[in-house]
Amino acid sequence: MDENEKIELLKDILFANEYEFEEKISKRVAFLEQTLKERGRLSEKVDPIIIHQIEEFKKSIPTTLGPTITKTLKIEISNHKDAVVDALYPILGKMVKKYVAQEMKLLSSQMNNQLGFLAFWKRKIRSTYSGKNEQALILDDLNETKIEQVLLIEKDSGILKASFTKSETIDEEMVSGMLTAIKSFVEDAFNKKDQDLELIEYELYQIHLQNFATHYMAVVVSGTFSLSSKNKLQDVIFDFYNSYMAMNLDLVFDTSKGSKSIIPVKRSQLEKELKKYFLNAKI
Amino acid sequence: MLKSKKIVVLGHFGVGKTSLIRRFVTNTFSDNYKVTIGVHITKKVIEISAEDKVSLILWDLEGTDDIVSIRNSYLLGTHGAIFVFDVSRPSTFQQLSSDLAILNEKLPKVPLMIVGNKADLVSEVEVKALFEKYALKVDFLTSAKTGKTVNELFLNLALLLTADA
Ligand SMILES: Nc1nc2c(ncn2[C@@H]2O[C@H](COP(=O)(O)OP(=O)(O)OP(=O)(O)O)[C@@H](O)[C@H]2O)c(=O)[nH]1
Ligand SMILES: [Mg+2]
Repeated sequence: MDENEKIELLKDILFANEYEFEEKISKRVAFLEQTLKERGRLSEKVDPIIIHQIEEFKKSIPTTLGPTITKTLKIEISNHKDAVVDALYPILGKMVKKYVAQEMKLLSSQMNNQLGFLAFWKRKIRSTYSGKNEQALILDDLNETKIEQVLLIEKDSGILKASFTKSETIDEEMVSGMLTAIKSFVEDAFNKKDQDLELIEYELYQIHLQNFATHYMAVVVSGTFSLSSKNKLQDVIFDFYNSYMAMNLDLVFDTSKGSKSIIPVKRSQLEKELKKYFLNAKI
Repeated sequence: MLKSKKIVVLGHFGVGKTSLIRRFVTNTFSDNYKVTIGVHITKKVIEISAEDKVSLILWDLEGTDDIVSIRNSYLLGTHGAIFVFDVSRPSTFQQLSSDLAILNEKLPKVPLMIVGNKADLVSEVEVKALFEKYALKVDFLTSAKTGKTVNELFLNLALLLTADA
C-alpha cells in the first residue's frame, strides 16, 4: 500500500461515517423540504374540498343523522315521560296561556266588532236623522239620562201612594218613608219653611224631588242629570200633575171650569197614569 | 185591600224601641245596644182579615230624654204612636204624665199606646207596686227579649187604625 492509498484509507476511516451521515441528513432535509412544499400545494387544493364537504355534511345531518336522533329522542322521551313533562311544562304552560289569552282577545274583539257593527248603524241612522255627530251620540249612549223609578209619596206621612218602576229591586214603601225622613230632616235643619229639598244623590243615581200641596214625587234618574234633563223631567211631572194629580190628590181645583168633583183614586189607576207619563218620557 | 199606616215609636234612650220593632218584624232579639240616630224605618204587612191587609210603616225614632225636642217633621202624618218606657228604670217613666201631655199636643187625635218594656227584668209584684206608686196607666207590658205581648201590641194598634178608616 503506497502512501496515497494509506491516506485514502485513513480518510475513509476518519470521515466515511460522517459522509454517510451528511448524505443522510441532506437527503432528509431535501425530503422535508419536498414534503412541506407538497403539503402547501396539497392544502391549497384539498382545503376547499374539505370545507365544502363539511358544509355538505352539515346540510345533510337532518336527513342522514336526523332520523337516528329523532328515534333516539323518542325512545328517551317515552322512557322518561315525567322528566320531559317537567322540563317542558313551564314553556308549554306559558305558550298555552298566551295562546288562550290571545284567542280570547280575538274572540272578544270579534264580538265587539259585531256588536259595534249593529250599534254603529243604529247611531248612523240616528245621526242622519238627528243631525248630531256620531261622537256626540256615542257619548249620549254612555250617559243617557234614564228615569228608573217614580214614587208618588204623601208629604207628611211619607206613605207611598203609587209608583212606577222599570225593575223591582227595593222596598218602595220603606224608601218612601226614608226619603220623607231625610227631606224633613234637611228642611228642618235649614229651618226655612219655603225651601224644599230638591235633589238627593245616591251612588249612581240622582233622586229628583218635586213638591206639591199634599204629595211629592221622587224620581230616580240614572245617567247625567243636566239642567236640560231636569227641565224636561219637570215638564213631564207637571203634565202629570196638571192633568191628573192636582184634581185627584191635591184637591186643587180648576176654578176656571168650576169643576169641584173629586174622583176617588185607586192605586192601580194612579199607577196606570204614572206609567203613561213616565214610561217613554225622554229627558 | 192593602192600606199603609205610619206608626212612630218614641220614648227615652235605651228603653227598647228598636228591640220591640225588631222582635215584631223579624222575631229576633239582641243584647247589643246600638243607639238609633235620627230615624230608622221598617215595615211589616199584617193581615187583619181575609181581604184586608195593613202595611205598617214603623218610624223608629232616636231616644230622647226630652220629648219636646222630638223633631216635629218626623211626626207629621202619623196614624198611630207608641210611647215606650223601661219598667226597670224609673227615670224613663217618672215624668210620664207630662211627657204624655206634650205628646198629645204634638200628635192631636192620634191613637197612642203606652208601653212598659223590659217586663222580664222586674217581677209582677214589683210592677204592681211601681204602677201604684207612680199612678201609671199602661196599655201593654212587654218584653222584647222574651217576646211577651209584643205582637199583641202592634196588632191592637193596627186594628185600632183600620177600624175608623
Ligand atoms: N232584658 C231586656 N232587655 C231589653 C229589652 N228590650 C231592649 N233591651 C235591651 O236594652 C238595650 C236598648 O235597647 P234598644 O232597643 O236599642 O233601645 P232604644 O229605645 O231603641 O234605644 P235608642 O234608640 O238609643 O233610644 C239593648 O241592650 C237591648 O238589648 C227587654 O225587653 N228586656
Ligand atoms: Mg233605637
